[in-house]
Amino acid sequence: MADRVILTIGTKKGVFVADAAKQRRGFALRGPFGPGVPVYSTLIDTRGTPRLYASSCNPFFGMKVLRSTDMGKSFKETKSAPAFPREDGRALTNIWALEAGGGKKELWCGVEPASLFRSHDGGDSWEMVPGISNHEHARKWQPGNGGLCMHTIIRDGNRVHLGISTGGHYLSDDGGESFRASNQGVGAGFAPDPYPEYGQCVHKIARHDAAPGRLYMQNHGGWAEWTGPGGPRPDIGVLRSDDYGHSWRSITKGLPSDFGFPIVVHPHNADTVYVIPLEPATRTCPGGAPAVWRSESGGESWSRLARGLPKKQSYFTVLRDAMDIDRLKTPALYFGTTTGQLWIGREGGEQWDCLFDSLPPIHNVKVAVV
Amino acid sequence: MGQTPTITIHVPGALRTYCGGAAHVSISAHTVRDVLDELQRSQSALYRNVCDETGKPRRHLNLFVNSDNVRDLDGVDTRLTSGDVLTILPAVSGG
Repeated sequence: MADRVILTIGTKKGVFVADAAKQRRGFALRGPFGPGVPVYSTLIDTRGTPRLYASSCNPFFGMKVLRSTDMGKSFKETKSAPAFPREDGRALTNIWALEAGGGKKELWCGVEPASLFRSHDGGDSWEMVPGISNHEHARKWQPGNGGLCMHTIIRDGNRVHLGISTGGHYLSDDGGESFRASNQGVGAGFAPDPYPEYGQCVHKIARHDAAPGRLYMQNHGGWAEWTGPGGPRPDIGVLRSDDYGHSWRSITKGLPSDFGFPIVVHPHNADTVYVIPLEPATRTCPGGAPAVWRSESGGESWSRLARGLPKKQSYFTVLRDAMDIDRLKTPALYFGTTTGQLWIGREGGEQWDCLFDSLPPIHNVKVAVV
Repeated sequence: MGQTPTITIHVPGALRTYCGGAAHVSISAHTVRDVLDELQRSQSALYRNVCDETGKPRRHLNLFVNSDNVRDLDGVDTRLTSGDVLTILPAVSGG
């Protein structure tokens, strides 16, 4: 019976693991593992005996995948990490996404420069997925501020959604053999054409298992004031699709900003979705007063959740993979900041407490009940 | 081409786990490129830390032949003589 809440926290200086009983009163912290090396993606793989994974993105010695089989008491490198074929000419510069695939040992991995890899043996060997990695658009995608990253991998049977910054949303209906850009209604701020076929700076995509046709997207917003070619493009930042990602529409009305990075769906209600709006210019909390915003109506309206969070003089950023929600009956949200704080939002975000105040800058937070 | 020179690779501490804990590895090679090729054959785990998948030395690593950075010599085509020491060093960084 699952009775522990476990967090993986990917930071600029390695991965930390924290765990607590289901009451979530106090979390014990371990780490850093892979010390001193940035970790941009983690995975808590709950298929069978739980395994924890973390990317270890060493700017000197290259990319590694770390694996723990003892619930985060120790980590070891897998036998190999994703790597492009030599004749490809590209070299990995980061690992942005680790996700469970089909079967018990399949893993999917999104990397920079934006490409997809798959492992059939729990991360000991990897093969590039050519349908997207060699897509005709792939050499035309441009890096965003964080690099040219494939950061979102969502699987739904044979349907696969990918989020690429900056590339947009790509969709496969054949298990990842082939992909097509699927960005109708997804605005872009970096091109004269406000709605190009591809090239959008998608920040994160999320969905609920019980509502696979419904997807939510945090896109790169903040373009309402643009006066150049193509004109202003307000409200392109937070979007929703009701047709498996074939088309998207804005759900930003009521938010203080349409810019942000993470987007998270409630585990028991597909209409409940969370974002953290940020000032587009500074990418920090509006007015120095951080808040998570929640919609309980699929984005029709939003409410501000800030009880327990700082009321002023707080200018952190929450990055695209730094917020998650557990699956307990009354779930808690968790987010990590670029200033090294890890917050828990109890009662679905109604009450916030700081779990850890002085970690390294946080890139990634994942939670599971094991 | 004469007898193949034997040189010593000085392995930084962070990479010794990839070559059985050795601080030094001896290799016979005419050039730095030959050294890397031999590493790929005989020390593949160490090699993957030194070169990316295109075969080039990683961007933020420096290779020194004795006290000279190979970037200031002939790059990976720098010729070696017996007794040379090839040092692998991460570039200066902070933060």
